[in-house]
Amino acid sequence: MANLSLKHIYKVYPNGAKAVNDFNMEIADKEFIVFVGPSGCGKSTTLRMIAGLEDITAGELKIGETVVNDIEPKDRDIAMVFQNYALYPHMTVYENIAFGLRLKKIPKDIIHKRVIEAAEILHLTEYLGRKPKEMSGGQRQRVSLGRAIVREPKVMLLDEPLSNLDAKLRTQMRAEISKLHTRLNTTFIYVTHDQVEAMTMGTRIVVMKGGCVQQIDTPKNLYCYPKNKFVAGFMGTPQMNFFEGTLLKKGEEVEVTFAYSDQKITVPYSLFYKVKPSYLNGDCPVYIGLRAEDITLEEHKVQKSLTTVNIKISHLEELGAETLVYGDLNMGGDGYVESSTRCIVKLNTDMSQSPKIKFTSGEVVKVALNMQKAHLFDKVTEQSILPKIPQNNYLDCTVEQGKLIFCGEELALPPAINCPNLYGDLIIPTNAFYLGGSIKAKVLSCERIDSNYLTALKIGDRILYASNLQVENASFINLGVDCKKITVLSQGKQVISPLPQTVCLYGKLIKQKQKVSLRVKGKIKSKNQIVFRLEIEGAQFEVSDYITKKLISVLGAKKAFTTPLRFECNISDITFANEGIKAKVLNLLDYGRQKFAKVAVGEKQFFVAENGQGLKDAHLLINLNSASVYQADLNVKIV
Amino acid sequence: MAKKYRSKSRVEKASNTAIYAFLIALSIIWLFPFFFLILQSLRGEAGATTNYFFPKIITFDNYIKLFTDTSLFNFPKWYLNTLIVSVAVTVIQSVIVLITSYALSRLRFKMRKPLMNLILILGMFPGFMSMTAVYFVLKEIGLTQNLFGLILVYTASSAMQYYICKGYFDTIPKSLDEAARIDGANRHTVFLKIILPLAKPIIIYGILTAFIAPWGEYMFSSLLMLGDYDKFNVALGLKLMLHRENVSQYFTRFCAGAVCVSIPITALFIWLQKYYVEGITGGSVKG
Repeated sequence: MANLSLKHIYKVYPNGAKAVNDFNMEIADKEFIVFVGPSGCGKSTTLRMIAGLEDITAGELKIGETVVNDIEPKDRDIAMVFQNYALYPHMTVYENIAFGLRLKKIPKDIIHKRVIEAAEILHLTEYLGRKPKEMSGGQRQRVSLGRAIVREPKVMLLDEPLSNLDAKLRTQMRAEISKLHTRLNTTFIYVTHDQVEAMTMGTRIVVMKGGCVQQIDTPKNLYCYPKNKFVAGFMGTPQMNFFEGTLLKKGEEVEVTFAYSDQKITVPYSLFYKVKPSYLNGDCPVYIGLRAEDITLEEHKVQKSLTTVNIKISHLEELGAETLVYGDLNMGGDGYVESSTRCIVKLNTDMSQSPKIKFTSGEVVKVALNMQKAHLFDKVTEQSILPKIPQNNYLDCTVEQGKLIFCGEELALPPAINCPNLYGDLIIPTNAFYLGGSIKAKVLSCERIDSNYLTALKIGDRILYASNLQVENASFINLGVDCKKITVLSQGKQVISPLPQTVCLYGKLIKQKQKVSLRVKGKIKSKNQIVFRLEIEGAQFEVSDYITKKLISVLGAKKAFTTPLRFECNISDITFANEGIKAKVLNLLDYGRQKFAKVAVGEKQFFVAENGQGLKDAHLLINLNSASVYQADLNVKIV
Repeated sequence: MAKKYRSKSRVEKASNTAIYAFLIALSIIWLFPFFFLILQSLRGEAGATTNYFFPKIITFDNYIKLFTDTSLFNFPKWYLNTLIVSVAVTVIQSVIVLITSYALSRLRFKMRKPLMNLILILGMFPGFMSMTAVYFVLKEIGLTQNLFGLILVYTASSAMQYYICKGYFDTIPKSLDEAARIDGANRHTVFLKIILPLAKPIIIYGILTAFIAPWGEYMFSSLLMLGDYDKFNVALGLKLMLHRENVSQYFTRFCAGAVCVSIPITALFIWLQKYYVEGITGGSVKG
C-alpha cells in the first residue's frame, strides 16, 4: 500500500511526439484512480511510466517515499493487468499465477497457499490446470488479475482490462474489480476509455486529452462541475448539449440569446454571479451546456417554466427505460449532426405503460431548460466560465470619502489606497475575505472541496463566494476584506489595483571552488571542493542539491552555468535581512492589517512585507525552496 | 425465365479432381529419384548402369560393405566427421541466431536498423566469394585439414540468418515480456522462460536448417580438407566413389551411402515436425 506522487511528468518520443505533457498528481493510499480519455490521449503511456515500462522524459515519480524514475519495474512493487491479458501461453493457470512468486524464490507452500487463495477469490479453482487457450476471455482476464493480486503489490495498475470483453461480462468484471479493490485495500490505477467504467469505479478520475490533464476530480464533481467543454462532453451519455449564444445583463436579469436561431430566454442574474462581467455584455460568444436530463418535454413542466425554447424534432432513440428525443433549435437545422443548435432531450418513459411516445419527426415542440443546471464555456478557450470555485466576486460599488460601499455595506479603505469618489465595478477575489471585520454576512453553505472550502455568503441581497473560510452553515459572521487584493474599475479603467503578489528576479547557476578542511589519517588537510550557488541580482545564495541536479539535468552540464534563469516567488517568500540582494526602499504602504515597502532592485520594483525597516536601503533574502525557476530566454519552467 | 446455375458440388468435385491429379503427377516426379536411388542401393548386379529399372538381385551387401570395407573408402569415419561438424554447427548456430534475433527484436539501441540492413546486405553475397581469403586465413592459423576450422567457417556467419527468427519473435506479443518484467524477471529470464518456450517452431526450423547445411556441404570442405581423406565429410567421400575409375564398381555403394546420408535428416524432421507445425501462442493474448 502506498501513495504516489507524479510531478511535472513528461513523455517525449525520439521523433518529437509529446505523449504526456506536464502531468501532476498526488494519489493517496488506497485510492481508486481512473485515467480516462479518448484514444491517444496519453493515459496508457502515463500508466506504463508508472509501471516502469516506459522511460520518463522529465519529471519525478514517487511511489511511497522513493523516487522510482530509474528503478526497474520488478523493483517498484507494482502489479499490472494488461488489456490483452498477456498470459504466458505455455504455462497453466496455476503456473501463470505463481510465476512472479517463483521468481521471488518464495517457498513453495506459501506460493501454493497464495495461488489457491487468489483462485478462490476469482472463482478460478477448477481451471488451475488449464492452459490460457482453453479459457474464455473473461476467465483469462481473471487469471491476469490473479497473477497481479498474488504479488500483494503496493499499487495495482490496470490497462483497459475490460475493453476486450462483451457488455455483460464487462459489467460483471467491473463489479468484481471494485470488490477486489475493497478487499485488497490497495491503491488502484485504472485506465479506460469508457466513461461508464470511470464513473462507476473511480474514487477520483483523471480526464486526459492530447497528453494533457483536463481535470482531476471525483466522478460527481466531474459530472456536475466540468472545468471545460471537453470534460463536459466526454462525461455523460448522451453527450451534453452545447448551444452557442451570448449573455446580456439587464439589471438583475440576464438575457440569453441562442445563435443561429432567434430564440431568447431570460434568467435571474443570481444564476450567473460567478461569471466575469465581460461575458455578460451581449458580445462575447459562449457555449451554454445543458445535459439531456436538464431539458424536458413534459407538458406540465414546460407550462410552468420561464425558460422555454422551441425545437424541431428530427428523430427519436428508444432505449427501453428512457427515450432520447433529438431536435434542433434552428428550424432549418438537422438534429442528426452534432452542432451548436442540436438539442437532445432525455425522457424517462415507462415503456409498459406508455408504449408510444407521441412525437413525430419534423414536429416543433416547446422544451423547458433547467438553467440552474446550465454550464457556461468560453467559445475560444472552451474553459468553464461558471466554475465550482470561482476566483473572484464581481459587484457594483461606490467609493465615497475613502469608504468602499458594496451590497449595502461600508468598508474603510486603508491609507495605502487613495481613491476619489466614484461609481464602478468591484472585484473581490474569493480568497480576500477574513473573519472578524465589519461586514455582516449570513453563511448559506460551506463545503470542503479538496483542500479548500467554498463558502456561499449572503451580504445584503447579494450572494458572494469565499474560498478560504471554514464556518458553520446558516451562521451569521463578521467579515473583513483584504484590501491589497481588491480591484476597482471605473469606466473601464483600473482605479484601485491589487498589490502584485509575485516577484520576478534574474540570475544564474554558478560553481565555485571552496577550500574545506578534511581530517585524513588523523591530519587536517585543506582541500578544494566544488560548490554550487545561485547568483540572483548580484547576490549569491546557497542552493539545494535538488535544484542543482534539476538545472544540470535539464540544461546540460555546460549550459546550466551560462543560461539566464528567472526566479518567480511570492512576495511572502522575500524578507528583509542583513545580507542578500541590495535593494532601495522607495516608500511604505499601509494596508491596515499589514504594511508593505515598495523596493527597487536595479530597474525592477516590487513590494516586500515591512518589519519596521523604514526607508533605509536594505538587503533582501529569498526563500528559494518556494520559488519557481524558469529558463529566462525560452520561458520554460525547470523547477 | 429463371437462369440456370451449375451445381456447386459438381463444380467443386471437378476442381478437386483436377487439383489432385496435378498433385499426384508432381509427387511421382519428386519421388521417382528417391525410389530409383533406393532400388539402385539394393542392386546386386555390378556396373554403373543397367538397361532395366528393377534390379534382378536384391541385396544389402552394398550397405554392409559401406561400413565394413573401409580400405579404400572410410565411409564410417566420414559419416562421423559430418555428424560431429553438423551437430556442433547446429548447437552454436542456433544459440547465436536466437540471441541475435532476440536482441534485434526486443532491444532498442542506436544503429539498430543500419546494423540489421548491413547484415542483410552482407548476407546477400554468396559465401564462396570469400573462399580463397578464408582458406589463407585458416592456413595462417593452422586450421586447414581440421574439423574445428570447418565448424568455424560454417558458424562464423550464423548471425546473418537472424531475419526469419527475428520475424517470429516480433509476432510474440511484447506485453508478455512486459508482464514478466513486472513479475520480477530480468531480460535473461524473460528470454529463457518466456520467449524460448514460445519460439519452439522457429527453433526447430533453425535446428533443421543449421543441421542440413553442413551435412551436405561440399564446397568449403573440399577446399579445407583437401588431401586428408580421414577428415573428409560424406559429400566429399561419396564424390570420390563417382570418379571415372571407381564409378562402375562403386555406384551401387554410392547409392547406399546416399540413402544413409538422408536417414538422419529424415529422422530429425519426423521427430521435430510436430513442434514445427504446432502454433504455440494460442490464448496468450486476446485473439
